[in-house]
Amino acid sequence: MQQQQAGGSETEVTWGDQQNINQFGRLNNRFHDLEEEIKAAKESNENLEDAGNELILTDEEVVRFQIGEVFAHVPRDEVETRIEEMKELTTKNLERLEQEKVSILSQMAELKKVLYAKFGDSINLEED
Amino acid sequence: MASSTAGATERRGIPGAQFVEDVETYLTQSGLDVNSALSFLQERLQQYRVVEMKLLAQQRDLQAKIPDIEKCLDVVSTLQSKKGTGEALIADFEIAEGIYSRASIDESDSVCLWLGANVMLEYSCEEATALLQKNLENAKASLEVLIADLQFLRDQVTITQVTVARIYNWDVHQRRLRQATGAAKDL
Repeated sequence: MQQQQAGGSETEVTWGDQQNINQFGRLNNRFHDLEEEIKAAKESNENLEDAGNELILTDEEVVRFQIGEVFAHVPRDEVETRIEEMKELTTKNLERLEQEKVSILSQMAELKKVLYAKFGDSINLEED
Repeated sequence: MASSTAGATERRGIPGAQFVEDVETYLTQSGLDVNSALSFLQERLQQYRVVEMKLLAQQRDLQAKIPDIEKCLDVVSTLQSKKGTGEALIADFEIAEGIYSRASIDESDSVCLWLGANVMLEYSCEEATALLQKNLENAKASLEVLIADLQFLRDQVTITQVTVARIYNWDVHQRRLRQATGAAKDL
């Protein structure tokens, strides 16, 4: 985010404006963090999905299930329930993150309207 | 969210940036000319960058620590759930990079936790869970504080950047005015 400007005429910047700019900066930072978190959540969701599918195909009764650093020998049906539980958790987490992203984007759009209305071309709120 | 007063002073040793209402008043009050004001602010920005790097490193450490503790909790609860079944827990574990061996873990009431500094202590499963849970909460709480610190810091960076841009613009504006009056005199 950039606020550098080269215009000659000065629009007065109030503390309220500054707070809006700060808020926009915070939202923008959070937005980028969220993108990362969503990517990670999607990945773990896919991994669990794959693991679940593999489990259906296998005919082994006991599978090695990673807990911490070790692979425990766990009966297949128990692993199935554990994976289901984990999947539920990551899906919920993903939904929460997606919702936060929507809310952040709409707040950013609001602030953009306010700030562009006041400063026009003197402010740049777009990514490079 | 954002603090309501213009004079947010400091947070955990990070000095607050002063919001400038009016550039001209700011320069006369601080007794600085445009160039020294700008270089003072640039120096401040540089200092903020250093602190930001430090905080980000701390954040990364904590973010790695939290899943670690969760893993430990997971293992302890697995051991606990095996208790009373009479079966041993069979597990494959890594003895060296890429080499695995098989272990049979008999039913047990206790686990040993690595406390750091070459110290390992035996706990009952309940105590171990309580201790790990407490560590997890502490780590989460510190992460929250750290994120708040980072937000405060970034606000100060934003304020300073805006101030730099405004002083610069004000200076350009002043030069233009002087040029215009100078040109008028020459006529």
